[in-house]
Amino acid sequence: MTKLRKTVLLMASVLTLGAATAGCGISTSDKSSLTIYTARDKQLAQGVVDAFEKANPDYKGKVRLLTLGAQEALERVTAEKGRPQADIWWGGTRQQFVQAANAGLVSEAPAEVTNSIPAKYRDPQGRWVGEMLLDEVIFYNDKMLKPEQAPKDWDDLIKPEFKNKIIIRDVAASGTMRSIYSAMIARKSKGGDPAAGYDWLRKLDANTKVYAANPTDLYLRIQRQEAPLTVWNLQDAMLQKKKSNAPFSVVSPASGVPQLVDGVAKVAKGPNSKGADAFLKFLLGKDEQKKLAEEWFQIPTVQGASEPSWLAPMKLQEMPVDWDLAASKETDWISHWSAAIKNKG
Amino acid sequence: MSTVTTPPPAVAAPRTRRLPARDSDRFVYVLALPVVAILVFLVLIPMLATARSSAGGAGFADNYRSLLSGASGHALLLSVGISLASVLFCGALGTFLAVLLTRFEFPGRRLLSVFAVLPMALPPLIGAVAFVLLYSETGIVPRTLHSLTGLSPASSSIGGVSGVILVHAFTMYPYFYLSVSAALAGQDASLEEAATNLGAGRLRVWRTVLLPMLTPALVSGALLTFMMSMASFTAPQLYNVQTLTMEIVSARTSGNEALAATQATALSLVSIVFLVAMRWYQGRRVHRSLSKGSAAVRRGLSSGAARVAAGIGSLLLTLVLMAPVLVIVLVSFSVDGAWTTQVLPPEYTAANYQRIFTDPKSLMPVSVSVQTSLMATLAAILVGAAAAWVVARWKLAGRWTLDVVIMLPWALPGTVIGVNLVTAFNEPTAANLGLTLVGTLWILPVAYFVRFVPLVFRSTGASLEQLDPTLEEAARSLGAGPVRVLRTVTFPLVLRGVMAGALLAFVDGVGEYVASVVIYPPGTVPMSVEIYNRIYASEFGTAAAFGSLQIVLILFVLFASRRLEDGPRRRPRRRRTPAVKAS
Repeated sequence: MTKLRKTVLLMASVLTLGAATAGCGISTSDKSSLTIYTARDKQLAQGVVDAFEKANPDYKGKVRLLTLGAQEALERVTAEKGRPQADIWWGGTRQQFVQAANAGLVSEAPAEVTNSIPAKYRDPQGRWVGEMLLDEVIFYNDKMLKPEQAPKDWDDLIKPEFKNKIIIRDVAASGTMRSIYSAMIARKSKGGDPAAGYDWLRKLDANTKVYAANPTDLYLRIQRQEAPLTVWNLQDAMLQKKKSNAPFSVVSPASGVPQLVDGVAKVAKGPNSKGADAFLKFLLGKDEQKKLAEEWFQIPTVQGASEPSWLAPMKLQEMPVDWDLAASKETDWISHWSAAIKNKG
Repeated sequence: MSTVTTPPPAVAAPRTRRLPARDSDRFVYVLALPVVAILVFLVLIPMLATARSSAGGAGFADNYRSLLSGASGHALLLSVGISLASVLFCGALGTFLAVLLTRFEFPGRRLLSVFAVLPMALPPLIGAVAFVLLYSETGIVPRTLHSLTGLSPASSSIGGVSGVILVHAFTMYPYFYLSVSAALAGQDASLEEAATNLGAGRLRVWRTVLLPMLTPALVSGALLTFMMSMASFTAPQLYNVQTLTMEIVSARTSGNEALAATQATALSLVSIVFLVAMRWYQGRRVHRSLSKGSAAVRRGLSSGAARVAAGIGSLLLTLVLMAPVLVIVLVSFSVDGAWTTQVLPPEYTAANYQRIFTDPKSLMPVSVSVQTSLMATLAAILVGAAAAWVVARWKLAGRWTLDVVIMLPWALPGTVIGVNLVTAFNEPTAANLGLTLVGTLWILPVAYFVRFVPLVFRSTGASLEQLDPTLEEAARSLGAGPVRVLRTVTFPLVLRGVMAGALLAFVDGVGEYVASVVIYPPGTVPMSVEIYNRIYASEFGTAAAFGSLQIVLILFVLFASRRLEDGPRRRPRRRRTPAVKAS
């Protein structure tokens, strides 16, 4: 049985090695540390945290940042309800935060923070606040389309000339896409009847070449020239241009762009309530918001913030959308879209 | 002797077993106690949470009725169809490779046998993207064909349902390959010789002796593949195929937890039905060998032409299997965003690796993943192998129950497992005996253990199925105690099966993403989560570099485990020393 002995020996030695290094990195949670779940870009979030620690030396080295998707953050916070592990949940759609607020998962931000955000961009009680606005735009690969060939407005997307020229991030699994599609239905529906909106989306589906699995897949497919056009948020398009030199050009649609709110919230009964308040105040402070707006293409929600310098030349206008209607019908509409419209055109 | 063609003698055929074995029989039940306790505590109670929450929302009846019609019903059928097709393709590919590599000697065999398991090491997400980069309309293969033959890329690309089956076939065949290899290596050559001596031709020997003896291994592979395909999400998402897992995600995204739980429960129920059906099929016959002879020796190919053909064939096969891995390595050396319409990336750089190796913190995820998966694998070996033995030797009613319980996590989507574990071990309650794991490093190994113990269990079970209990009885009748029999007879004889399962468990643990992201504690980021973060920060090249590191790591583990299995080089392949001598 020498082989058996060898196996056992090898395993034992690996285990010892494992045990020897196991100590490092385990940080036990204590009252003074601050845990943040974020769906923001890791570099962006780390930059804010570094600045926060500099401004509040008490928290130096005590902020723990976990990066994950917005839906995963919601799932974690939901699962941890009995004994919350996080203090801040940073990054998520209005829909996700409303769901969390209704389930009692998030609690009021300090009044100073709540009051600095216009009422339409936050929960009435301040259980979540909008940190930035996401303009949902049309953009295209400018190596495949000339500016004059590109669509000028949303209704151009359903013209026959753009058949198989559009890639869409798969809708049902994406909070952003669900909101955009709901906005498109709400825009077309008169008096709450979605038929006209469905019809529009059916034509869009007919022009859609493929549904991308995730944002990265979307950028890759467009850069690799599978098709030139997509609908996605402006911040990501700008970051792609800046970071990886993506050949993306943004269209400023004549009828305006749907504006989604992306928020931040204090987790209810989190371990460090005071730290959470301090962080929210810092994050939504004018200086930090200005920095994020200029360097990370955020459109701030805080009152009195000036329009970022890169945004002004684009001349984007907000599209009027009945968000209450869209939010209340979203589940029905998207289910219908998945079952009866997607891939049928 | 193996009885291949006789109909089912009940497992406990009245032989002389009754005489000395009373206390050893009892040992099965003694051992069962801790195993069952661990499984109930870590698996059954947490996972029942899903079934419980499926009664919420619109109500139990409405939730389940939705599965009978409309989108969910269609998605369920599609999932089952895709899973069956995946089993078929994986089975064919995995068995073919296993037979080729264990029964024949040809140039390139050693190389191919290491790379054969490598597709398991594909990191989730980038792994699936690699298939898109290879076979989609803008992929390497259609573009190459286009530039060579003028064939339009759209007509040679693979997408939709066939894309999903393609990804499944090329990433899941190792479940067949490993279990069939273990079974072939442990097979008694005397059976084959006997059949040949009785006048059976090569084909007939395969059809009536070898393949039937492989049934447990094939059943094990089929189960793992079927359940994994049912729970697969990345591939359907990339190829935009509306399977039940896609429905689950959209139900979760829309906030309908109860409907998502219903769909997840239905998914695992289908898998359990498949499990029971396969067990029934396997139970109709006994697939045992007394294992007194030595295993068949690999046959060399005699003619030079055949050797060359086999060598080229194995090289091509290696290339096809390795292609997704190679694409990841290629991307890791290419400049982000530069590869657009060309067949291969036009610009190369080492910057992606520099970025990793110059940041001292960036290697931490590697260490986290290795340690936690290792801990989980060791626990899985102990519990999984013990459970397999208990199930194989259990003589009372209800042996299938344990089988179902241990396989349950394999049938559930990873997110569901993660959420269930957090819910179960977040605050001290009676059900978790006051144990709070959330926020500690222990939650990761526990999750990997729960998710991957089925691998060790199945693979060991398949080996045990081929082992005749009379060997154990012989040892016992010579005076060895139950523990000694296990240690000196049973365990060495099924070691190959245990190791095959452990290898899979470790590799899958290192790549695990979906459950990890819901549970990982602050400060200890597993490698897969780090890769995901890099992808989402659109550092695709760096993500691929991380992925390549993971592949190298797993390649290293594969080499190490092969060395362990083969022992010191060039010893004649003796296998399965008679058990009686050992005790």
